[in-house]
Amino acid sequence: MTGLPSREEAASLADVLERVLDKGLVIAGDIRVNLLDIELLTIKIRLLVASVDKAREMGIDWWEHDPTLSVGQRDLADENRALRSRVAELESATQASKKAKA
Amino acid sequence: MTGTATYLYAITRPVPQADLAGLRGVGDEPVRAVGVGGLSCLVSTVDLAAFGEEPLRANLEDLGWLERTARQHDDVVRAAARVTTTVPLRLATICANDAAACDRLAELGSKASAVLDELDGRDEWGVKLFAVDRAAPSAAEEAGPAAESSGAAYLRRRREQLERRNAQSEVATQEAERLYRELERRAVRAHRHRPQDQRLSGATAPMLLNAAYLVDRERVDEFRRAVDDLAGERPPDSIVVTGPWPPYSFATVEER
Repeated sequence: MTGLPSREEAASLADVLERVLDKGLVIAGDIRVNLLDIELLTIKIRLLVASVDKAREMGIDWWEHDPTLSVGQRDLADENRALRSRVAELESATQASKKAKA
Repeated sequence: MTGTATYLYAITRPVPQADLAGLRGVGDEPVRAVGVGGLSCLVSTVDLAAFGEEPLRANLEDLGWLERTARQHDDVVRAAARVTTTVPLRLATICANDAAACDRLAELGSKASAVLDELDGRDEWGVKLFAVDRAAPSAAEEAGPAAESSGAAYLRRRREQLERRNAQSEVATQEAERLYRELERRAVRAHRHRPQDQRLSGATAPMLLNAAYLVDRERVDEFRRAVDDLAGERPPDSIVVTGPWPPYSFATVEER
């Protein structure tokens, strides 16, 4: 016995999947049957979930961006949206006060 | 498709059958070892109604099924890693029968032996770094629109906030790199998985680093201390360690 110490908590599904599915979280399935040797069914999965649609359903879409960049980009987009709506509010407030004065 | 096939979990040094007593794999089937030339392969029988090519394709799209199967696979690999050095195989590596599994084992044998030599006495550890928003907005910034004297001032502040945020993200990237390299020095090998999406990880903060390290058991304390030291410089819970894992990230014997 080499005696691995026991884990303190159950491994998360994401942790398990990225390991047993080999090489990171992945996107679409690629099941390969070796036709020369029909005795062997080999699965080659490059992507986490077997279909992109299923992944999107789960809300996993980060492969469309560089993961390290996408967070920042999403923030920027949110900020821009907030900014635009704030500008619109200010503009309409200015208009309203002009009208009130007139 | 009807009939059964043989599901392969891992290649190991020979395992006494007694060590596998009570161990169950996918579909709750008992796990057994088949052996060739000084190596064992842990296998169990699966039903082709679930694991044949077509049903498998459909089942892999069923996340409940995928989770169950991945966890059962992981349980067997973990159990093997507790008793001997183990090379995990990919999820759903399936041969027609035990004889075909032995052929596969013979085929992978010399590569597997070399990998087993490298893995002896070593475990995989996972280290994740999460982002922390360290420059919290000041009270004046938080006060928001009511405190603004003009739209221009508001826009200027927003721009400054954005610039600060971009600078933070740069710092975070460097921090992740530094952490990765720092721990790499205490490990035999290191590997970067993609950072997990928050919706999958369930974490409240974005993940900056998702690293795996192959660590000598004799140096685990040193490794853990290094992690603790690095964690000490950061807010609580920004570094998460998992492990020990079977050497999933470092034991590749199959072609990509």
